[in-house]
Amino acid sequence: MGQAEWATVPISTRDVDGPVFFTEHEWNTIEAASARIIPTDHHPGAREAKVVRFIDRMLAGTQFIFPAADGNGFLRMEGRDEAAWQERIKQRREFYREGVLELDRLAKERADVEFLGLTEEDQDAVLETLSGAAKPHAFSLEHSEVGLGGAPAGNQPVNEDFLEFFPLLVLNTRQGFYGDPVYGGNENRVGWGVIGFDGPPSLASTMDGSYTTRKYMVEGAEWPYDQHPEVLRYRRP
Amino acid sequence: MTRKKQPEAVDVVIVGAGAGGATAAKVLSEAGLKVVGLERGPWLKPEHASGDELKFLNRNFIWQDPKIKPRTYRPNDKVEAEITNFSATPQVVGGGTTHWGGMVPRMAESDFKLRSLHGDVPGASLVDWPISYDELEPYYTRVEWEFGTSGLAGANKWEAWRSRGYPTKPSPLSQIGRTFATAMSKLGHGTFPMPQGMVTEPYRGRQPFSENGFWQQYPDPGSGKSSTLISFIPDAVATGRYDLRSDCYVSEILVGKDGRATGVRYQDEDGDEFVQHAKAVIVCGGGIETPRLLLMSKSGLFPDGLGNGSGMVGKNATFHQYSFSVGLFDREVSDPLYGWAGHYMSLCSFDFYETDESRGHILGSLIFPSMIGHPVNWSYPGRPTWGQAAKDSDREFFNHSMKIGVLLHDLPVEDNRVDLDPNVKDAWGLPVARITHTPHSNDFAQERWQVAKNGEILEAAGAKKVIPVNMERITGNTSHELGTARMGNDPATSVVDRWCRSHEVPNLYVFDASFFPTATGINPALTIMANAWRCSDRILQVDRHGWSEN
Repeated sequence: MGQAEWATVPISTRDVDGPVFFTEHEWNTIEAASARIIPTDHHPGAREAKVVRFIDRMLAGTQFIFPAADGNGFLRMEGRDEAAWQERIKQRREFYREGVLELDRLAKERADVEFLGLTEEDQDAVLETLSGAAKPHAFSLEHSEVGLGGAPAGNQPVNEDFLEFFPLLVLNTRQGFYGDPVYGGNENRVGWGVIGFDGPPSLASTMDGSYTTRKYMVEGAEWPYDQHPEVLRYRRP
Repeated sequence: MTRKKQPEAVDVVIVGAGAGGATAAKVLSEAGLKVVGLERGPWLKPEHASGDELKFLNRNFIWQDPKIKPRTYRPNDKVEAEITNFSATPQVVGGGTTHWGGMVPRMAESDFKLRSLHGDVPGASLVDWPISYDELEPYYTRVEWEFGTSGLAGANKWEAWRSRGYPTKPSPLSQIGRTFATAMSKLGHGTFPMPQGMVTEPYRGRQPFSENGFWQQYPDPGSGKSSTLISFIPDAVATGRYDLRSDCYVSEILVGKDGRATGVRYQDEDGDEFVQHAKAVIVCGGGIETPRLLLMSKSGLFPDGLGNGSGMVGKNATFHQYSFSVGLFDREVSDPLYGWAGHYMSLCSFDFYETDESRGHILGSLIFPSMIGHPVNWSYPGRPTWGQAAKDSDREFFNHSMKIGVLLHDLPVEDNRVDLDPNVKDAWGLPVARITHTPHSNDFAQERWQVAKNGEILEAAGAKKVIPVNMERITGNTSHELGTARMGNDPATSVVDRWCRSHEVPNLYVFDASFFPTATGINPALTIMANAWRCSDRILQVDRHGWSEN
């Protein structure tokens, strides 16, 4: 069946609290790592946003890849699309399984404990080793920093298929923090709150016109040139 | 299981249902012709759309999945091509008009005669268009009114004559638009509302857009954004003479012993193969898939691909790379910009469109300000990626950032081309499109100059930091695929004639942006639609009378 005919299955990423794919240990380790990628400060971070649940559901299979448009349930993928996502998820599962082992291995090398037993500073040091670069330092308007990384802004996103574990974890953490809550992260829209995105209360609200960004536009702006003779020539009745 | 029957022959089969294919379907079916449309993607409806960033931007719900439909890219013939997601474009009913931002400016008069204006530019294959603005103008107007557009006619002082204004008023001004207009005015430049494919007032049974901000790269759940999905396709279906079959993948255009096209071979979604016979074939698969299909359609009469006696199919590819400067504003000083509100962009300017050789290059493009992205994909080069610095940067600048971009008016170069990859196959086992492309030196000069200029505008707007985002190569980041079945009067140097009919196969047409002889510096959809209408009229008035009756 074509994509337009995919059935909606009445499931939610919140049907169960804990892991669907991860073991408890993997869950806790990825949660701790994500909390170093988007830390908690005077605002919530990845831990409060339940980023680990977002990542777990992404790895659970193809059932949580595409939500129904209104957010009530998920689409049951079929055919070639489903097969392609199976392949993609299989690869990401391996990255995460091996990634957790690697985090623990680096932690043991450092302090003879698992990643979860490290202090936050030591966890950062392990992530630095894993990433092969120093932890990014503060961005400043005045100074020009080199080598901070960061995907160039553009019209089309990074292709996740070509990422290795660390950049994949960083990107998935961002997705779980800022993506629509329907995917299992961004709990209570805390991610949007941190950056001041007044996003939709539900996907359904983007479909029926009830969610609008109108108040953030310039109300009643007069075009400075709409009295120009060339414009008046085409004035509509 | 019931055995499927081979379909009945019709007047015209149209491959693709995007901007070009849907326009042709409307014009031809409304005039009484029997038309079959074959679209390889799904027929998604507005109710399949909502403001879901991950689904549409990161998980490719309507862009091609590179695992199923890969493409390859290489800078030149000396290196091996690599698999990429080059030119992510919706392969769905409605095509590029579903995810687009709806920018619909008209071509400038100069765009039709670049060869006359600039002569022989070394390394480029610059040509004049075989048609003039005056021939296209009535069709521009027709599309603007039938399709549904908004704008302020007369406000673009660089625009050529027009016979009529826009059917609906411009969309409301965004904070980013206001910031751009103020800075441009400070620098002595003009701005005007971006002409857009949307209706801002009740129009032809459509309600004004909702303003959910999920606009660029998102299909519209309502009827505000103009797409062929909600306009020309329903018009054509309503005639009872347009049979649009989605999820049907055309793999070959068939020809008879007399060298005329007889129809196409395609697979439906179950993999069952059919032949659709027709008196004429119109190809509208986009500037990458169209040359690919022509090159795959090899036969004894056409050993190098259909209509490719000149060897020009796939050549002179241009892609309108989008480059920009990012401006970051100090939240202690500047008001928030709320880039996610409204319709991605708001105003634009043509002040840098016409050639000014004192800039050190020829040609130019429209420029326009826009948001940087929704939360997941919002970024800028140099952004800290993780840790406290990353969170601080997101919090400081998400609402205090914007960009001013340019659509590169790239020069056609014969070696820049689309052909069949000798190694990589798609999920159907067919060779994928391989893109070979290196920008012309004028492309780099134009792009560097304009991106720097856009940075100056951001500084005038009060940006505390300006970060240029320059191209290293072409990535197809605008989904504009142009020039690969060039229109021209000379069969030795072009693929289709002034009516977009193959020079060699008299009942084969190309109505997507493949026909563009030169790239222009504007978004191509309006011109694709106006030209498809013009050429469809020609079919009705002249060509159809020569078609055989069996």
